[in-house]
Amino acid sequence: MVKVEINGQVIEAKEGDMLIDVADSAQISIPRFCYHKKLSIAANCRMCLVDVEGAWKPLPACATPVTDGMKVHTNSPKAIAAQKSVMEFLLINHPLDCPICDQGGECELQDVAMDYGDDVSRYSESKRVVGDKYAGPLIQTDMTRCIHCTRCVRFGQEIAGMMELGATGRSEWMEIGTYIEKSIDSEMSGNMIDLCPVGALTSKPFRYSVRAWELKSHKGIAAHDSIGSNIILHSKNNEVKRVVPNENEAINEVWLSDRDRFSYEGINSEERLTQPMIKKNGQWKTVDWETALQFSVEGLKNVLADSTDVGVLASANSTVEELYLLQKMARGLGVENIDYRHRQIDFGMDQHGFHTPLLQDSIEVVEKLNAVLLVGSYLRKELPILNLRVRKAAMAGAKVFTVNTESFDFNYKVSNAQSDAGMVFELAGVAKAVADIKGAKHELVADITANDAQKVIAQALIDAKAASVFVGQISQLHPDYAVIKRLADLIAELSDAKLSILPIAANEVGAHLAGFLPKNGKNSAQMAQGMDAFINLNIEPEADFADGDNALAAMKAAKFVVNMTAFDSEIQREYADVLLPVATFAETAGTFVNANGLKQSFKMAVEPKGEAKAAWKILRVLGNLFNLNGFDYVHSNEVLQEVFDADTSAVKFSEIAIALPTTNNDAKVKLVSPYQMDAVVRRAPSLQATPDANVETMGRG
Amino acid sequence: MIRSIKHQIKTWGLTELFKGLSVTGKYLFKKKITVRYPEEKTPLSPRFRGHHALRRYENGEERCIACKLCEAVCPANAITIESEEREDGTRRTTQYDIDMFKCIYCGFCEEACPVDAIVETRVFEYEFQERGPHIRTKEDLLAFGDKYEEQIAADRAADAKYR
Amino acid sequence: MFDSLQAFLSSFLYDWLAILITLVLQAVAVILPIMLVVAWLTYAERKVIGYMQVRMGPNRVGPIGLLQPIADALKLMTKEVIFPAQSNRYLFILAPILAIAPAVAVWAVIPFSEGVVVTDLNAGILYVLAVSSILVYGTVVAGWASNSKYAFLGALRGSAQKISYEIAMGFALVTVLMIAGSMNLTEIVNGQQGGVWNWYLLPLLPMFFVYFISGLAETNRTPFDVIEGEAEIVAGFHVDYSGMTFGVFMLAEYAMMILISFMTSIMFLGGWLSPFEGIPVLESLFAWVPQLAWLSIKVAFLLFVFLWLRATFPRYRYDQLMRLGWKVLIPLTIVWVFVVGAMKYFSFGPWFN
Repeated sequence: MVKVEINGQVIEAKEGDMLIDVADSAQISIPRFCYHKKLSIAANCRMCLVDVEGAWKPLPACATPVTDGMKVHTNSPKAIAAQKSVMEFLLINHPLDCPICDQGGECELQDVAMDYGDDVSRYSESKRVVGDKYAGPLIQTDMTRCIHCTRCVRFGQEIAGMMELGATGRSEWMEIGTYIEKSIDSEMSGNMIDLCPVGALTSKPFRYSVRAWELKSHKGIAAHDSIGSNIILHSKNNEVKRVVPNENEAINEVWLSDRDRFSYEGINSEERLTQPMIKKNGQWKTVDWETALQFSVEGLKNVLADSTDVGVLASANSTVEELYLLQKMARGLGVENIDYRHRQIDFGMDQHGFHTPLLQDSIEVVEKLNAVLLVGSYLRKELPILNLRVRKAAMAGAKVFTVNTESFDFNYKVSNAQSDAGMVFELAGVAKAVADIKGAKHELVADITANDAQKVIAQALIDAKAASVFVGQISQLHPDYAVIKRLADLIAELSDAKLSILPIAANEVGAHLAGFLPKNGKNSAQMAQGMDAFINLNIEPEADFADGDNALAAMKAAKFVVNMTAFDSEIQREYADVLLPVATFAETAGTFVNANGLKQSFKMAVEPKGEAKAAWKILRVLGNLFNLNGFDYVHSNEVLQEVFDADTSAVKFSEIAIALPTTNNDAKVKLVSPYQMDAVVRRAPSLQATPDANVETMGRG
Repeated sequence: MIRSIKHQIKTWGLTELFKGLSVTGKYLFKKKITVRYPEEKTPLSPRFRGHHALRRYENGEERCIACKLCEAVCPANAITIESEEREDGTRRTTQYDIDMFKCIYCGFCEEACPVDAIVETRVFEYEFQERGPHIRTKEDLLAFGDKYEEQIAADRAADAKYR
Repeated sequence: MFDSLQAFLSSFLYDWLAILITLVLQAVAVILPIMLVVAWLTYAERKVIGYMQVRMGPNRVGPIGLLQPIADALKLMTKEVIFPAQSNRYLFILAPILAIAPAVAVWAVIPFSEGVVVTDLNAGILYVLAVSSILVYGTVVAGWASNSKYAFLGALRGSAQKISYEIAMGFALVTVLMIAGSMNLTEIVNGQQGGVWNWYLLPLLPMFFVYFISGLAETNRTPFDVIEGEAEIVAGFHVDYSGMTFGVFMLAEYAMMILISFMTSIMFLGGWLSPFEGIPVLESLFAWVPQLAWLSIKVAFLLFVFLWLRATFPRYRYDQLMRLGWKVLIPLTIVWVFVVGAMKYFSFGPWFN
């Protein structure tokens, strides 16, 4: 520890810390543009020049390590003069277009210019103009405004792992751009908008719609992946206008994936269902809530009188409260066919119980792993924030291996184990290699011979101090999911690595806690074969099911279908009998349980569109209309109390006897684009315009 | 003693009452300052703050760029603006409403405007006979600006050197 | 004139009918001009006060606003008369009648010139005092009938104020009677013949002021209009009156103003007598001026003073008003009764011989 004196205040600091960090921790403000705590130090904006005693010229605080006895003045005449001069230089070429700039009102340059800028410019020559670059459907560029802080360039290099933007030319002719025109395709690209201290990179969907000072902030939880990123929803006139990350070092740091950032467009979609509707004699009629609910209850009672063959389906991006109440109502009615795993094909493990998918390392610890084996996972697109942590680990020297159905473009070095034999046999090879090295024998992989690549993976996993095996979404979609899990468990067990079956949807863990599983009934795949009636929550069978056509046919064949949905669509009008408009994640209070089992509750940010209601409220009323006990909730917290008495469940995979498949089933895996995950994201036009929205192009990286 | 005598004389002589009467008496013959309004009008300053108008450039393009500074500065929250990106990529308003009942005619909107789009003209003779028209829409304000552009421009020119 | 008319009518009509017609015509001949004067007095008031406040006053209706009173009258007559739900309807109607009736009836004894009087009553002053005292009933009944606390407070203030100032007024009249030795108004005027210095103004100067101030209080004019103080009791006794019922109160108030001016002129300013009597050249020069004109000029001036005072002074506080009445005016008049007595005993000046 050293002692530094800043503005007469003595501060203890760690030797080697940068001056700007020390000042920040003591709440002494130093203006800056290029410095960002999550990025490397560039020291090219010079805004943070401070007066250090002994140095004959001002030093940049962001690139000056503290030494013992150092005396610093951040507001001495010398420091102020230096900062003002830098400010004047920055403003020389910055256009005076704040009135039409979306950054206006939340612009770092504006703020600092208020403190250090002159009211009149001495520069009367013509200003530099830079042509705008096309940067894809998410980011709008106005490069004339750029002050060359290179935060976006460094973000691309260091965080996103794709150097999509770079600086070309020098001095007056320096330009930030893509060099060859292409869109910025990183799944984290939206963060550049936050990073840009001026209005050079702004959000395209948000463009010119609202001013920063008009927005109300609401804390929320991202609803599209199991990481549970903390977000802030910005609303105006009861409409979500944009989403920005809420800093949480333990989860998403300061980042947010594009999916969570731009999915809000779906909330404001024109396809939103705003009024309850019922189908009578083949005609759709808009009705009031009472009629619609009564109609649903009667219709379901008619079916229930003959059979309990009723399917209850929900999206795992629904809140814990919704899932819990839906299964509680279903079980109250004697229905056990409850499931959320619509994209899964292989339900072979169900007979042994339900294993709660959990990330066994906390998200922060992931970046400290030494070896990671990704089993059937395009982690980058599935869980971008977790991928960021794995990338950090990889950058720090960790070895990352994948066993996939095909080769994907990762933004760090991975060793692909992939061959024509298929991922199951690759995985078996790794297992065999681990077993061989450990000198163990297992009948499951007895007939397998490990090749060199597999042996490398096995060796790395065994050698690593902290190793993890992540089983991802592609495994979930694989026809041999049970075998994959069994093999992954074998590898993890033999190599002393942790096994994490990754939850993908926002609330998969929550669905397990809420018991939204077919404990004594049919699973999704079986239900898709045909049921007498369906109760659907946030489901679009044609897009959410592994076999969409089949599911749709089952819906059409059913006698009565109640659809609780946020969106109206022609397809569901063909099979449904009742459409109940429900609130989206921004319009309801609820809870998501993230991959680590962290329960994060959030409040309603905006009122539901039209007459839509929060799904848990609809279910509460339905429960009462069915005369079921225990549906007298006043607040969503009361629902939560009942859920959290439940615990996660684990299945001991090692005790399960299972045989390897006889064929390579990789071709049967139908990949899902990250932007096709749920109904809201599917209706976000800007996301749909990116390459990632298409399975064919998403592997491009 | 003398003071009290003086006081008594003053009181019983009703001097103060007569003093008061003399004041009003004098004013009876003073020149009257009344302006007989519809026939006579007081001179207006070029800075007069009356009915609002939205101006256009000479080529007919509306000036307003939807920066919303007037909306932000308005102390009475009388201005409501919604903005969007027009087809040609420029920032424009889709809605520009001024509630003339809320407006206090302080002129801050005009001061805040970076492009001299919203101005307060010297027109003060207008009335509303029902609710509804008191909310002046973008179309109203632009039409108003077109109608009085000559005078608006002349007023700005006259005041320009003091800004 | 009316005698000959009566004689002419009785030549072909019943006697009683002739008398009735004559009486009605007499009443109309007095009341109509009074009402017209009242009408334009309101105009004059607004104009004078406007001028004193450097404004123009009414100038829209007719040339220089001269038709304003007609517009006002039309407005009042066409407006709805509202009866408050909780009011006493009969008293509510009765109150304005009680106010206007004495204000009109009192003109029966007022002489406009030598011999031009409806009834040349010997106890003229007593009649005037008696009838004008009834006026306060209008105020009190109006306040009571309205069933409103503001109206009621106004009425209470009004009655207390009237009682207080009538005493001072009465004593002031006593001094006049002591000099004139008659209660007949015509004789009081005739007693002042012989030039300005023979007028009772000089020996009774304090009484002139006392009488005029009491007159202000009697008519509820500023600065004594506490009964309708808008700041504290909205509009006092007539707060619930609208349309012509309110208009009648107005008529009564202005008719009383004119009456007070007439009485003051008659008793202190020599009535219809020319101010130039006894001055050699001027007397003959102005001999052609009719007596009514002299009286009108004096009355007009006093009315102007009414308006002038209103434009000048703020309203008295209620306690100050009572103090002035009881502690200043009444003692002053009592003292002056003795002074006049002494003057009479010593045959002082041209007035007591």
